[in-house]
Amino acid sequence: MEQNDVVLKATGLALAYGRRIVLEDVNLEVRSGQFCFCLGPNGSGKTTLIRAILGALWPRAGQLWLHPNHARRERIGFVPQRCDINPTLPTTVREFVLLGLVGIRADSQDRVERLNWALDKVGLARLEHKDYWSLSGGQRQRALVARALVRRPSMLILDEPTNGLDLSAEDAFLRSLATLNHEEAVTVLFVTHDIAIAARYATHLVLFHSGSVESGSREKMLNRAALERVYGVLVDASCDPSGAVTIRVCPPGGDP
Amino acid sequence: MIEGFLSSWTLFHNTYLAGWLIGLLLSLIGVLVVARDQIFIGAAISQASTLGIALAMAMGAWAATDTLSWMHSDRFLTILAVAFSLLAALMTSGAGKAGGESHEAITGWVFLASASLSILIVSYSPHGLEEIHRLLASSIIGATGSDVWTFGMLAALSALLLVAAHSRILLFAIDPAMAGAVGMHVRRWTAAVSVWLGLAVGLSIRSSGMLYTFGCLVLPALIAKNVCREVRPMFLVAPVVAVGTGAVGFVLANHYDFPPAQMTVALLSLLLTAAWLVPRIRRGAR
Repeated sequence: MEQNDVVLKATGLALAYGRRIVLEDVNLEVRSGQFCFCLGPNGSGKTTLIRAILGALWPRAGQLWLHPNHARRERIGFVPQRCDINPTLPTTVREFVLLGLVGIRADSQDRVERLNWALDKVGLARLEHKDYWSLSGGQRQRALVARALVRRPSMLILDEPTNGLDLSAEDAFLRSLATLNHEEAVTVLFVTHDIAIAARYATHLVLFHSGSVESGSREKMLNRAALERVYGVLVDASCDPSGAVTIRVCPPGGDP
Repeated sequence: MIEGFLSSWTLFHNTYLAGWLIGLLLSLIGVLVVARDQIFIGAAISQASTLGIALAMAMGAWAATDTLSWMHSDRFLTILAVAFSLLAALMTSGAGKAGGESHEAITGWVFLASASLSILIVSYSPHGLEEIHRLLASSIIGATGSDVWTFGMLAALSALLLVAAHSRILLFAIDPAMAGAVGMHVRRWTAAVSVWLGLAVGLSIRSSGMLYTFGCLVLPALIAKNVCREVRPMFLVAPVVAVGTGAVGFVLANHYDFPPAQMTVALLSLLLTAAWLVPRIRRGAR
């Protein structure tokens, strides 16, 4: 890959809330088209890094470089962990998804095209006029992705989007993301606790532990030593060519 | 009935116009209050504004007429009403951070402290209690031409702002977390909306009292919420409901010799009761 494929680069990055430093000396490179998973325990700084990428948190030290296409964040789509909207508020799938266009100049025809494209990509094309609150949990999560996609992002950031989804909804959701990544070359940055889905879908991993970050290809990062550093327990994770994932966690004092 | 109303126009046109414009202004802001599920904040800000008026009256009674005559002016009452409602709006909007006090707790405190203090402050003032009771009960009779201009300008400005920044306002109202993620400065927006709300409520309380102000702030928006399928049309339906009900209310009040503010709020409450049926009917039809 060439250097101009880099869409995000952190060099000696430190992030903090007030005096509390969350991440220090982060060196990271994400390239175009990667399906990159951020793994790490609670409080390890995954969401903090996302906030910095979205421009909601300024670096304490170091540099966070974004490709000029992303510098104004117009082509970054964000899917939050959960959507805290007032559940008594009336809204349709169409209105909800179009909210993602805030800050983007688009005439009415362009808005309709973007909406149809985004709904089609997540499999909600026929539910455009449906009440948002009548959707299932999995469909709402896909509506959140559609709201991010309506910006036609070249980078999609998802913060633990599979929390609360049952297995089939999670699988359908991840498949639609993988399709987007393959067909539209959307770079995906996916924050999760779930090693199994990372082992299955990731091309690259970013591991967070004790305020620092390690990154690399899935093959390089998904090993016992790296996962032990992150989670403090012995974990074996593997994915065979058919896509079947095996995760073995060592009981205390045992061997996986 | 209509003829009787039209014949009263010469005498009460400022009252009618001010009442409708207050309804228009507050119903627009009310959509944001209802969308963010902060209805009680409206009541607390209205009550805080009453405290400002009570304090201004007490200061006026204490101040010497010759040296501090400005304290006796109507403008001083308005300034303190607006100042207190702005303060309350900013206090309630700033609450709710992790580890701090919740929105509800701060709002409840503002409401209770303002309600009790406003009565205590004017207890020994000659006409203080009477004035506070009048403000709480609401009377829009006596609005002036300058009230009409003030509320007309504020309503026009609010409508212009909503048209110019409708997508941002919509996202801020529905999902502030997402608004932050797409680069909106949520704190600045929250502060701006609080100032807008505080100013409108503070000025309105002075002219129309607490019942009418709070009623126009939340009832049209709640009616719109029940009859609309999306948030965007709520910004159209709520003002239409507020002004339309105000028109009917004032005509009925004039004909049957009832107070117009109470008549309008009662009609809005009835309409809300009917509007609650709309989502049920819609669900039943599916």
